[in-house]
Order: sequence, then structure tokens, then C-alpha cells
Amino acid sequence: MQPLLEATGITKAFSGQLALSDVSVSFFAGEGHAVAGENGAGKSTLMSVVAGILRADSGEVRLDGVALPPGDVVEAQRRGIGLVPQEPQGAPTLTVAENISLGETPAGLGLLRMIDRGRLNRIAADALKLAGVDIPVEAPFGSLRLADQQLVLIARALHRGSRVLILDEPTSSLSTREVERLYEVVARMKASGRAVIAISHRLEELRAMTERITVLRDGKRVLTAALADVTNADVVRAMAGRDVTSAGAPQQAPAVDVVLDVAGLGSARVAEVSFKVRRGEIVGLAGLLGAGRSRTLHAIFGSEKRTRGSVRMGAGGGAIEVKSVRDSLASGMGLVPEDRRGQGLVLGQSVLTNVNLVLPKGGHRLGFLSRPLLLETALDAIRELSIKASSVAAKVATLSGGNQQKVVLARFLRPDTRVLLLDEPTRGVDVGAKEEIHRHLESMAARGLGLVMASSEIPELLRLCHRILVFREGRIVGEMSRAEATAEGIVALAAGVAA
Amino acid sequence: MSRGGARILLGRLAPLLGLVILCVVLALTSPHFLTADNLVNVLRQSSVNALLALGQLVVIITAGIDLSIGSILGVSSVVLAMQLRAGVPPLAAVTGTLVLGALVGLLNGLLLTRLKLPHPFISTLGTMNVARGAAMILAAGVPISGLPDGFRMPFNGDLFGIPAAVIVVAIAGLLVHLLLERTVYGRDLFAIGGNREAARLAGVPVSSRLELAYLVSGLMAAVSSLVLAARMNSGFPLAGTGAELDAIAAVIIGGASFFGGVGTVGGTLIGALFIGLLRNGLNLLDVSAYWQMIVIGVVIVAAVVIDVLRARQGD
Repeated sequence: MQPLLEATGITKAFSGQLALSDVSVSFFAGEGHAVAGENGAGKSTLMSVVAGILRADSGEVRLDGVALPPGDVVEAQRRGIGLVPQEPQGAPTLTVAENISLGETPAGLGLLRMIDRGRLNRIAADALKLAGVDIPVEAPFGSLRLADQQLVLIARALHRGSRVLILDEPTSSLSTREVERLYEVVARMKASGRAVIAISHRLEELRAMTERITVLRDGKRVLTAALADVTNADVVRAMAGRDVTSAGAPQQAPAVDVVLDVAGLGSARVAEVSFKVRRGEIVGLAGLLGAGRSRTLHAIFGSEKRTRGSVRMGAGGGAIEVKSVRDSLASGMGLVPEDRRGQGLVLGQSVLTNVNLVLPKGGHRLGFLSRPLLLETALDAIRELSIKASSVAAKVATLSGGNQQKVVLARFLRPDTRVLLLDEPTRGVDVGAKEEIHRHLESMAARGLGLVMASSEIPELLRLCHRILVFREGRIVGEMSRAEATAEGIVALAAGVAA
Repeated sequence: MSRGGARILLGRLAPLLGLVILCVVLALTSPHFLTADNLVNVLRQSSVNALLALGQLVVIITAGIDLSIGSILGVSSVVLAMQLRAGVPPLAAVTGTLVLGALVGLLNGLLLTRLKLPHPFISTLGTMNVARGAAMILAAGVPISGLPDGFRMPFNGDLFGIPAAVIVVAIAGLLVHLLLERTVYGRDLFAIGGNREAARLAGVPVSSRLELAYLVSGLMAAVSSLVLAARMNSGFPLAGTGAELDAIAAVIIGGASFFGGVGTVGGTLIGALFIGLLRNGLNLLDVSAYWQMIVIGVVIVAAVVIDVLRARQGD
């Protein structure tokens, strides 16, 4: 049988880093096909290539045996590929009907182009019927619950003749009942001869929607099989990889004094997180996207509002309670945020300014900057972390990802830093810089700092951390010592399935 | 030099280059342009805009905008004149006026940071109207004329042939330069304008720094009212109507980025001088005021085009 949609030899690199390497997958009419993998495995990149949002470096996408023009999202849509993103994207103040017809609003002739409301609403009603859902067409899109917004976008895709429907994490924000309704819609679409592609981590839900699964790992396809033929454990093993090495396991047992004590911490998306970090210890936070790792770090640091709980630095009588970013910095806690361009750096400014963005002790006298000291701090950082920059005056925008990350890290090389929170510290840096950053983190721990590190890369956690806390839905669902932790165990806990 | 490098350098030097070209063109086309009297005159006329622009620069660096400075100029000049006419000693009257300007500026900042108005365009649009209305009410809509020499001399006299107004600009420029380039406050303002979230996460007290920026802007508007009142020999409730737009133009022509994080005192002063020279030159060439508006409009857009090209280069 000829596949309805076929991707062959897709390769895609982002600034030198391979996101997809020679991936080929076929999707058949009337079949549901799950695409699974860890964060960063390449699922979204592959779907973006298929939908024409990204242009692959090589390889091609064929629909009905005819090659699609690469990187042409409009043409891909016209030929019948519909993508429903994870976060429903629509115009919130327009009605459901207006959103369904957006870009091809039915209008009268003549200069005035009066909108034909009757026809607009009829089109919307037809589209929603196609999806088999009942949603008022005159309601503002923004007033709908996320589940209904998603169904409206599915209806829009169907109305526009989509024969391949790509659902990106379709169940991530749905209640159990809403998930059931989605299953029905998906079943109806398959029955009408469409192909459905679902990206998800949740294996049980994938089993309910799809018959076939493809697993990606590190940009490569590692498994394609009928779901009936594989167990969840098989899938988890494929996602995590068997060849996770324990090379470079943490060397020294951490000392005992507590440097950070998080007790019953809660925020809008974090529920009751408690843990302690000791001098010299690296604690890893594992979990899927949206599991609450970043938000926990921000709640600890004081940059996200807490609803309950406390954070103390140090132990016993000498412990200091920290409540705000300024408290945290003043008592020696630092944060290396996830998005270094958006949250970490002032890109248009110099290495000198960025290293000193958290001003070192004695960095100013009566408000006037102590420029020799700042210069010395920046030069020390460049030397110690071997940051490659033409000079301290070079704009950080001109540096490579790895060097930019080192600039953020450099802020906390100071003797008064006691605790460092790191959010995806090696995301988007090349292999060499990653290795260097790992070594610096280890030596910081060896000097007695307490490190808390959130990472989506399990091998990185296994390599660096003495202890790993696994997050799911805003809480800690498991803790593993270095000796107990395995990639399979972490993935299974994070996804909420038995390995 | 690479093409990209050349373009960046061109972007950086564009304000100065523009000024030089303008001077050459004016010198060639008008015999009256390159005379000491005329040039001193241009400096004097540019001084009010230069002072306003220095304050506006501080705000624009934070990716903000201050629409109220023209109105603060107006109400300050009225309050100044009322005090002087009531016999308040010049030094006290000047101090009172500066405090008033700083307070209105601080109010702008507080509206933005404490009431969390969505954009400084809104908060300063509000104070712009309030301050103008207050000026009209206080002065009953008419100028308050006849100010004592004890006040006028320091702001409208000459020192070794240099107009006092120019000296005021030089001192203010130096102080703003020091604030921006040498202090923690200035560094924080650049960081906030360049990446507010990164600044917040690095422990920069974003709210109090923004309040400071608007305070400085209001203060500079009050300083400009001293110079203007001394020159006009009156407090004038309509003084500075639309002046905020000339100040914004000077800052942008001077190479500051409307997106924040970039800007210099030197560039801003050049920008103010550029507008002054352009007006002066067009007057000498007998170009009507209406055509002058068109020329200045074109220059502003051209300056922003350069800014946009440079921002794209920065990516």
C-alpha cells in the first residue's frame, strides 16, 4: 500500500547541531501514528518539516507520492496537511466562526467587502459537524476552554481539507472527559480515511489514539512498530536508549552541611516541593516539559511568586530565609536561567557588562561603578572559563552559544556564591563547550557549592548529579541516588508509566 | 573591513556625519550661515530642546517614552514666574521649580511601576494633559511676564561670549553622561532597556530604576523651563507645546534605539543641534515653516531606518 504521507531521509541541523539525522517515516491513510521521544529528541522538528514550517537540510516529504515544496507551509496546508499546535493559537477576541474562516472570510462583492455573517456561521457549523463536536459558533474564541479551542482548530483543519492531521501534545492540558472526546474525534477522522499523527509522551493515550509508533532519540529514528507488538517498557527503553554510559560519575561523596533547604514550596504550577541540598552536592531535577522543574527553580530563587513554603540558605540557627531575588543574590544564591537569550543576557551589551550584571562585592562606591574591579572580574572570568571573545567590550550577541552560557555562569564564580540553580545549563551549546561546562560545574561543587540543576538530558543528569529528583505535574514523584538512577527508571517515572 | 562592519560603523557615526554634511550644505548655500553670530544663535535656540532631549534619552534607553516633558516645561515656567513675581528669591524659586519637575517625573514613574499601567505612553499621556491644564489654570491662560534680573542673568547672559544657556546644557549633559556611563543606576537602565527579564533575574531593582529615569526626565524639563523663561522674560502656560516630539526626534536622530538599551549623550546633543541647524538653515534659505515640518519628518524617518538596519545587523 502506498503511504499517504512519506518523509524520507530528513536531516536538519540548527547552528551546527543535528536535530534530525536521516529520518524516514511513512504514514498511512486511516491510521493513527504516534511519534514519541524525550524532550529534544526531534519530534517537533520532524513535524515542523512535514508541515512545511521548517525547511530540511536534505530529504523530502511526499504526499500521495508527490513531493511537497520544502519549507512552504501555505502549500502544505493547501495540499492537506494540518497541524494543531500544543498551545491552541487563535484570535481570542474573534468568534469561533471567524477563527475557522480566518484568512478566507466569506464576504460580499464590491469595495465594501461586507462580511457575510450567515455564510460565515454556516461554514463554521459544518466544520464543527465534520469534527463531530458541538461548540457555539458565535462565542469568542478566547472564552472557550483550551480543550474546545483545540477542537475548533481541528475543525478548521478538517474544513480546509486536511487529510493528514498532526496533533502536537494534544492531551497535555485536557481533563479525562475531554481526552475521551478527543479520542472520539480522532477515531472519526481515521474512519474517514485521514491519517492522524500524534506527538506525546503519554503512552496510554497514544495507545488509545494510534496503531503505530515511531520513537526518535537524539534526532534518529530508533523504533517504528505496530503498537500492539511492543510493550510500554520497550518504548521507554527505546526513548531512553540502552547505551547510556555512567562514565565520569560523580567522584566525591558530598559533605554533610545543608546549604539550601526548600520546605513545602508551592506556586501557581508547583505543589509542595521539599528537598535539601548539601555542600558539594549536585542535585538534578528531571521531568518532562512542563513538569514544573523550571518553575520550581524560579520559585526558589524568588523570581516567581510563591503561594506557600519557605526557602532557607544554610542550616540550623545560621539559616537565612530568602524571599526575593535580591535576598537570594545577597545571600549567595545564583540562577542560570533556561533561556539565555531571553532571560540570561543583555545581548546588545558587552561581555564586561553582562558578567557584572550581578554586581560583585565592592562593584560600586556611592553608586559610581568601580571600573577597574569590574574589568578585573570580567578578565578573570574569561580566563577561568576560557570564554572566547575578541575582547571584554565585545557584544555578547556575537559570541557562540557555549561562550554566551559561560558568560552567564561567570557571574557566579565569586567566592560569596554558595548555591547555584541551573536551568538547562547546556541547552544549545556544542559538544566541546558542554564538556567544559560540565567540568566547571563539577569543580564548583568540589569547592563546596550546592548545585541544583534542571535538565531534559538524562545522560547529563546521570553524569553530574549525586541525586536526581523526578518531577511530574508540579510535584516530586521520585528521588533516586546516583547508584539507583537509570535512564529507563527516570523516563518511566517522569511519564507516569511502569517501566 | 567587512561590509557588516562598515555598516555598523556607519550607523554609529551617522549622527555626526549627518551634522557635518548639513553644515557643509548650509555653508555653501547661505552666506549668512557660517557667521559667529548665527552659529551662537543656533546653539542658544537649540538649548531648550537639548535639555529636554537629555531627559528623554534617559527614558528611551529603558525602552520607554516620556510625552509629558513639554507640559512639564510649561507648568514649571508658570510656577517659576509666579514665585519670582511674588518676590521669592531667585535661588529658592529655581529650587522649587526643579523640585516640582522632579516630582511630576517621579509621578510618571510611579504610575508606570506601582499602578502597573501597560505602557509609559499611557501614563505620560495622562500627565501631559494634567500638567498642561494645571499650567493654564495657574496662569489663567496668559503669560506671566517681567522676571527679575537676578534670575535672568545666570540663565540668559553670556560668559566670555558663550551663552549661559549653552553652559547649562554642557553641565547637564556632563551630569547625565556620568549618570549613564559611570554609575550603577545608568548601567541598570541600559540593562532594563536591553533585556528587562535578564535585568530582573540579575537582581536589578527594575521599578525603582524606572522611577529614577522618569524623575530625571521631569527634572530636565524643569531645567529647560529656567532657560526658556529667562530668554522670554516670562512664564508661559503654552510653553513647550509639542516640544516632547522634538526631543524624541533629537534622541532618535542621535542614534538611540527606540527599542531601548542604546543611546549616548553625545549623540543626543548632536541630534538636538541637527534639528536646530536644520530649522536655522531652512529659515536662512527662506523655506516656509510648513516645508520645514516636511523636511524634519523625513529626517526622523531616515534616522529610524538607520536604527532598524542596525538592529537587524545586531541579530
